[in-house]
Amino acid sequence: MRLVTRHFLPAALAALLLTSAPSQAQTITVGIGTQDTTTNTVNVGAVIRELKLLDKHLPKTGKYEKVTYQLDWQNFTSGPPVTNGMMANKLHFGAMGDYPLVVNGFTFQSNPESKSQLIAVAAYNIFGSGNGLVVHKDSPYFTLDDLKGKLVSVPFGSAAHGMVLKAFQDRGWAPDTIKLVSQTPEVGSTSLQEKKIDGHADFVPFAELLPHRGFARKIFDGVETNAPTWHGVVVRTDFAEKYPEVVVGYLKASIEATEWIKKNPKLAAEKIAEWTGIDKVVVYIFLGPSGIMTMDPTIKPQLVADAAEDAKVLQNLGRMKEFDVKAWVNDSYIRKAYAELGLDYEKAVKSLENYEVSGTDPFCNKPITESRKAGQLWTEEDGITPHASTVCTLGALNAATKAGKKVTKAFVFDSVRQIQLFADQAYFVLAKDASGPQVTPFMLKTEADAAAAKVNGKVGDLAAAAQFVSSGS
Amino acid sequence: MSVAERAVDDVPNPVPSDAADTLVDKQLSEPALVRSPQARKPWLKRKLPQLRAFVFAIISLVLFVALWHVLTENRVSFHVRFINVPSPKQVLEKAEAAFKSAMFFEHARISCRRIGFGFVIAALIAIPLGLVMGRYKMIREFVTPVVEVIRPIPAIAWVPMSIMLWPSNEESIVFITFLGSFFPILLNTIAGMGAVDPVLVRAAQSLGASERQIFRKVYFPACLPSIFTGLAVGMGVAWVSLIAAEMISGQFGIGYFTWEAYSLVQYADIALGMITIGVLGLLSSLLIRLFGNLLMPWKS
Repeated sequence: MRLVTRHFLPAALAALLLTSAPSQAQTITVGIGTQDTTTNTVNVGAVIRELKLLDKHLPKTGKYEKVTYQLDWQNFTSGPPVTNGMMANKLHFGAMGDYPLVVNGFTFQSNPESKSQLIAVAAYNIFGSGNGLVVHKDSPYFTLDDLKGKLVSVPFGSAAHGMVLKAFQDRGWAPDTIKLVSQTPEVGSTSLQEKKIDGHADFVPFAELLPHRGFARKIFDGVETNAPTWHGVVVRTDFAEKYPEVVVGYLKASIEATEWIKKNPKLAAEKIAEWTGIDKVVVYIFLGPSGIMTMDPTIKPQLVADAAEDAKVLQNLGRMKEFDVKAWVNDSYIRKAYAELGLDYEKAVKSLENYEVSGTDPFCNKPITESRKAGQLWTEEDGITPHASTVCTLGALNAATKAGKKVTKAFVFDSVRQIQLFADQAYFVLAKDASGPQVTPFMLKTEADAAAAKVNGKVGDLAAAAQFVSSGS
Repeated sequence: MSVAERAVDDVPNPVPSDAADTLVDKQLSEPALVRSPQARKPWLKRKLPQLRAFVFAIISLVLFVALWHVLTENRVSFHVRFINVPSPKQVLEKAEAAFKSAMFFEHARISCRRIGFGFVIAALIAIPLGLVMGRYKMIREFVTPVVEVIRPIPAIAWVPMSIMLWPSNEESIVFITFLGSFFPILLNTIAGMGAVDPVLVRAAQSLGASERQIFRKVYFPACLPSIFTGLAVGMGVAWVSLIAAEMISGQFGIGYFTWEAYSLVQYADIALGMITIGVLGLLSSLLIRLFGNLLMPWKS
């Protein structure tokens, strides 16, 4: 305690002196609100912080020559506290999901000091995967229809809430078809584990994390709503107009952070797990090659259109009044950052491509041709190896188990939605044809059952599928 | 005693003679019930201190709201910043909208019920336990360490444990409000026991009173003022823990209302929730004081 005050007092005095004498050496405080646990914001938050990328990219010339930067990183588990900090001028940058971003922009409309603007995207899934609805693994629910009349919790005002509302709308369901209550991820996770609620819908990474932790099963993925989900960065306009070069520097740091993750997906997953407390395989399924999230800072028109949809939903709920999404988007900073790094913004903003599973399958000895039908195996001994097909992945898994290797996780792709799955959470349709055993992974049991009936196969879990590949029965 | 009250006392009491007679009759038949001198004064003068307190209360609240209005409407900023704090007018608008919907009163009703259950259960356990702990040193020495370890844990930290401990959400919520009330009531009861004059206890013992009788006739009445202090504090802390408790609820309660407003960043609704909790807390404290006055006529 004494230590804190001893350091705090001189620091506070220094801060006072510095603010009163701006003509001399100046300190710019940069407040950045992050959501470490929300895995797809790490490339605009945790990674920059831990690799100290701002030291490298913040401007140091011209009017910034004598400037010292004081970086104030603040971590929260959801968007609203970040907005709160930004409104209070304690934070200048904030990273959050699509719904909280819109709420942020709207809330700032009534702020006389400053507005907020969307300046970059962190990561997105153009079809809406990342949000999901999970049930307890012992529950008898396998589709959204099974939950009719049941109790589901979701953090209100989050991207996951938007997903649920969209799913209702797509099905033409009345708002009370499923009873929705609001719970934070922390409360919802515990409530689901204790079976206090029938289902819990949540944003990144909970729909993957809770099944991975072993008590939940995903029965609905945001991809089924076919509406993008994404995270982005907002900035206070008073700060951005005063220090535009700082904003560009921050975005350059985030571009480097993204490149670092893409170049070292395994190392990044391990490091991010260490920094944020989210399990490495969960980080990897989101940010690894062919991962659920595409990390791309460009502001794509599809995502802006989605934000306008979000605003409409919030208006219909009576949570918001008029809000002009277009005026809120400002891509000038990210364009500048691209230009300064010699990158082509126009090309990037048009592309929806992710980086994919690639290379040569060391087990089947053939190159990966169709990355979304491939698979990956992570063992402690060999790291992560790409595999050309589900059968190859399972074959490699069997070989690794036989050799006594420690298997961290196997990954396959849902054959319906092309999203990556944990193999131990997937349902496999096992059938045989002329070319040998055929194994097709599914996210949903109902779809696996239907497919199995068609090919006269059976449905099994990972153990059954591995057994089927090795012995053919 | 203030100047005003003394002035009232100095005024000779013009009591009509027949009224005075009945008064004397009453005093003769109920010698224990000594009428206070104030009873003989006119109503207005008798009630003057209360009236004054009431007027002061109104003035202080009005001043508070006026200050809030001035600070927020002018968006005052001198280190403490009222720039984005909602103004009384904005909150009033939200309140009007809220009062029109039955939902808001449902929120308040459900919260009152939760606080009520938590508080009553806390009182029913903490008062007897406090009496016993106050009377028997060994029990006190045995229980105190656990109490002192659990007591400082903030309500919000209890949320996950509470969800896991109890089969239903409602019980989890009541449990958190219970924890809030329990410790102030217990500690004040113990303190009250410590302050009981041992001479009274010895006197009762020498008159042949049993342990049970001593509890009922000596300790309990002597402790009542402290117990009621504990109840008043406990009620306050129960409301303090409401938002944490109702994070679990997910749909009802004034704490939930406030929390949901926070997750949608609706500052005026947050303020409305805060004020509602404040007012409900005040009303419940008044209720306890009223109950205390009924139980302890010798105090008023």
